[in-house]
Amino acid sequence: MKRSDFPLLGFGVGLRRPHYAEILESRPPMDWFEVIAENFIVAGGRPLEVIDSVRAHYPLVMHGVSLSIGTTDPLNRTYLRDLRALAQRIEPAWISDHLCWTGVGGRNLHDLLPLPHTEEAVRHTARRIREVQDFLGRRLLIENVSSYMTYAHSRLTEWEFLAAIADEADCGILLDINNIFVNAFNHRFNPRRYIDAMPADRVVQFHLAGHADHGAYLLDTHDQPVRPEVWELYEYAVRRLGAVSTLIEWDDNIPEFAVLAATAAEARDREARVMAANRDAAVALGGNPRSEA
Amino acid sequence: MTAGDAIDLKRLQEILYRLIVAPRGVAAGLAQETMLPAGGLERLIAGDDRMTPVERVEIYANGYFYRILDVFKEDFPATLAVAGADNFQNLMTGYLIDYPPTAPSIFHAGRNFAAYLSIHPLRERWPFLADLAWLERTTLESFHAADAEALDAGAMRAIAPVDWPALRMRAHPATRLVDSAWRVDQVLRAVEDSGAGQVPDREGVTIIVWRRDARVSYRAAETAEREALRLASTGGTTFAVICEAIATAAVEGEDVAALINRLLARWLLDGLLIRTTN
Repeated sequence: MKRSDFPLLGFGVGLRRPHYAEILESRPPMDWFEVIAENFIVAGGRPLEVIDSVRAHYPLVMHGVSLSIGTTDPLNRTYLRDLRALAQRIEPAWISDHLCWTGVGGRNLHDLLPLPHTEEAVRHTARRIREVQDFLGRRLLIENVSSYMTYAHSRLTEWEFLAAIADEADCGILLDINNIFVNAFNHRFNPRRYIDAMPADRVVQFHLAGHADHGAYLLDTHDQPVRPEVWELYEYAVRRLGAVSTLIEWDDNIPEFAVLAATAAEARDREARVMAANRDAAVALGGNPRSEA
Repeated sequence: MTAGDAIDLKRLQEILYRLIVAPRGVAAGLAQETMLPAGGLERLIAGDDRMTPVERVEIYANGYFYRILDVFKEDFPATLAVAGADNFQNLMTGYLIDYPPTAPSIFHAGRNFAAYLSIHPLRERWPFLADLAWLERTTLESFHAADAEALDAGAMRAIAPVDWPALRMRAHPATRLVDSAWRVDQVLRAVEDSGAGQVPDREGVTIIVWRRDARVSYRAAETAEREALRLASTGGTTFAVICEAIATAAVEGEDVAALINRLLARWLLDGLLIRTTN
């Protein structure tokens, strides 16, 4: 796969309940929305009314939290059927979920737990991603998760692990810039090395979000503004990987919609500045002025 | 597994799962864990000068419990208001031991909460608590229930009166009935209005929960409509049978035709029924 297999959607925000009425009534300018798939895997009622109405006016992307692609349990076929049915209903630009496991033995932790960075986990996860892609009939995007522990027997770096799985599964990457920053602090690595190692053509989407500083560790909370250090890393990612569809995540202490829209606008401005600088640099070098990526 | 082998993924996940859900914390769970490799948790999770492996797993353990607790606080506000924050948190701890989440969506995590409360010792203090939780859960299920075109007055008018007795109807998928020996609807209303829980009247009640225009409502059913709606809820039936049930339940001397008209008008307005062929 390559990035151009997917549309460049621009700058979006997560579709969250406190904003439903405003979005439906005033249709604010927004390039696209990302929906948490599980919130709309329901039999009927308000959630489906909302998603149908929003879809009539905006592109949508489906973002899952329960695929548990790294678990050693069998794939949950019921969940996959529900996911496919929702995709048929709203025709999202793409579907994404996390590179993690969320439970085992038929039990669910409702959390995104990291996988050990081993060849075993690469093979296991890539095989399952391929199965899911076959089932859904489309390429999946996998997202790097924030993490608070590393496994003693990991043999690959996190970026090697992510790139190896994406390559073996031939899937796309949803690169969460905040998660890279959080993990870089929690596990002491240089976040730019992570971005440098990303296969640019597989990176289809960026996530930006806020995190909390707990002293000994950073916690990915999605409950506050994007931190300056994360904005800086985002600009670095744009410089290295080019223009990528970007989404602002905000899941707790959700502010007015205008705040999210302003954050998406800031991402747009920052990307524009970086891309302009990229072009200037390329022209100065006599190269292709379109992108470094 | 020998000392030199990396632990396999399945066993790693099973161990971590048990540590994360351990009700007395990760350290206590670790003491009971029998599948750890030689060398203990350090063989699985790397620690450093900032945090030990146990502290790192505790981040996930806290995330697990408090994430579900937050969802339950939102889904069961009246149960929380009556029980109080400390009791509610203790209830959650016990509930998650008996009913660990199994479904992909966290929405389903609370589906057995009322059943758990119905046999919990706290029922001695608050005998209505399980019914209250069941009512709250029912409003959530009504909110997410399947869509269907509700019978309304216009649809009924379009049917020739002579065909009404044989008209088959059933409860809308979002229409639910909750039976209780306590007026738990009063408790939920009080919490919605003022945030404060109260002890309800001990009085048998059937509470109708329904959805109209995406809004979920509830009210105590009148005596005359209980059986009729129960018939409609358990499967398709005819309008004639529903009328008969109302007539049977009517108070002696009551104008049955007027009663049927009044109840039917209300049901149609609220969208409690759908037309069916079976």
